[in-house]
Amino acid sequence: MSPYILAILLFSLGLGTTITFSSTHWLLAWVGLEINTLAMLPLMAQNHHPRAVEAATKYFLIQASGAAVLLFAGVINAWLTGQWDIHQAAHPLPIAIITLALSLKLGLAPLHSWLPEVFQGLNLTTNLILATWQKLAPLALMLQIQPPHSSLLIFLGLMSTLGGGWGGLNQTQLRKILAYSSTAQLGWMILVVQFSPSLTTLAILVYVVTTSATFLTLKLNKATNINMLAISWAKAPALMALTPLVLLSLAGLPPMTGFMPKWLILQELSKQGLPATATITALTALLSLYYYLRLTYAMTLTMFPNNITSTPPWRLPSAQLTLPLAILALAAISLLPLTPAAMALVAL
Amino acid sequence: MTPILFAFSSAFTLGLTGLVFHRVHLLSALLCLEGMMLSLYIALSTWSLGMGSASSSALPLFLLAISACEAGAGLAILVATARTHGTDRLQSLNLLQW
Amino acid sequence: MAYFVYLFMVGLVLGMAVVAVNLSPYFAAFGLVVVAGMGCGVIISFGGSFLSLVLFLIYLGGMLVVFAYSAALAAEPFPESFGTTGAVLYFMGLVGVVGVFAILYIEEGSGLGGCSSDEVMGMSSCVTEYDGMSQMYGPGGFLLVLCAWVLLLTLFVVLEMTRGSSRGPLRSVK
Repeated sequence: MSPYILAILLFSLGLGTTITFSSTHWLLAWVGLEINTLAMLPLMAQNHHPRAVEAATKYFLIQASGAAVLLFAGVINAWLTGQWDIHQAAHPLPIAIITLALSLKLGLAPLHSWLPEVFQGLNLTTNLILATWQKLAPLALMLQIQPPHSSLLIFLGLMSTLGGGWGGLNQTQLRKILAYSSTAQLGWMILVVQFSPSLTTLAILVYVVTTSATFLTLKLNKATNINMLAISWAKAPALMALTPLVLLSLAGLPPMTGFMPKWLILQELSKQGLPATATITALTALLSLYYYLRLTYAMTLTMFPNNITSTPPWRLPSAQLTLPLAILALAAISLLPLTPAAMALVAL
Repeated sequence: MTPILFAFSSAFTLGLTGLVFHRVHLLSALLCLEGMMLSLYIALSTWSLGMGSASSSALPLFLLAISACEAGAGLAILVATARTHGTDRLQSLNLLQW
Repeated sequence: MAYFVYLFMVGLVLGMAVVAVNLSPYFAAFGLVVVAGMGCGVIISFGGSFLSLVLFLIYLGGMLVVFAYSAALAAEPFPESFGTTGAVLYFMGLVGVVGVFAILYIEEGSGLGGCSSDEVMGMSSCVTEYDGMSQMYGPGGFLLVLCAWVLLLTLFVVLEMTRGSSRGPLRSVK
């Protein structure tokens, strides 16, 4: 792909998210989402092999129909209340439709089955954009609307943490595992969006950091399934010693950064008088923990019976830029002591 | 519910139904999407005409422009799929299960 | 006049039902033509002559030519039409469900919804419409530029998607 076209596409990705962030009108929010989808398609299909084109097709169909349903809800809202304002959409029917449309775009659990397949067809850089940047615009809309009936959001959140954990259990493909992980993490954010939007912002920030660190690690090792991960100790031994900590941070274990949003979300849920929801959510996180631990196990804790036929590749210099990975991995592991500062940063 | 509200809502829902349930061709899925956008255009135009608000009566044009972009991108994907998969049948889009 | 409006609305829904039934793409494209025509009628009966004209020109003049071309690209030797019982039953089912909802939910005597041209009668609604169109070049200039950018972006998107890494014919041979 020509660098000029790449520049146009990346600029439009930024433009779409910015427009959706700054819009107060449903039509403009829809335009931003459409720009995001359009600019993403050539990036997804840049290799033009069948799997990438198929992933782009599925992504296009899902995102276009999600955006159409979103705009339909906006029009219905205008007909019923005479309002186009995102903040003042108050009629329960459009709000419910909008929540479902945004869940489809985000890949929340009953509507998540497109996500692993689309992830599976793409290279790891595009996956990184898809898993982080493309989630921001729909999530910003989710934060801005008036909360719908609370049990809808709790249902979506619980289904996401459960489905995200369950779906990844039997997977050996890293990209699909990370897709399910994304669904599970978004479930945590959706659970708390009606009680404390700033906590959702904190959770998406931490999610972006930890997921970026994971994807960059995989990209450095060119690993797309567990077997390839199992021999990657020979490529980057020091990184492979750190990566289990990043993965456990993604799972939300205490000394790591990923514990911060989970801790605060559980606390918020208990404060709101939902101890049963908090308990179930914490238990479904164990399902996700299982596959993160399996990755850790295959990668570092055991020596897989695979033969390295050549010179250990860590002797060869790598051409990839490792500074972003270093910073993100460090942030993904060790930011838990900064919890009060992070909360002050995102306080609304 | 007024008749026009019912008419475009049911047209949109029919389009969504057609998009969701057992499509055979990618092109007919794209046509269903196009029909959904068309009913949204009708909804937006009749809303702005009914409200008599001048500032919102240009909105349908923007909607039409963006949905034309979407249809163009969809047709480009159709061509790309026909090149890589040899057909536009949605059943052939089954490579990504593994 | 009101009967015509109802006729247009019924045609709109029936056309969308044709699109939604699982037929060959030609028939779906034909259904879309019907929907666009009926939509023109609905909009013009609400007093939007310019919006209706735009719909007519864009859809029947531009979009559907492209879709007809693509339908030719995706041609098949034995197209599935309304001849099969499954399609007819599906169509009847869809229309039946919509009809039941119409009986249940359309309130009697609610008029057409909005204010139709019967009530406003011509001039005033036309004036607001043309005011709005001219506002597109003034206060709505940001959106206009944005739409132009999206159209340019789509040009590059389409070129990149259909390029196919500069190898092979347009379609692989079946």
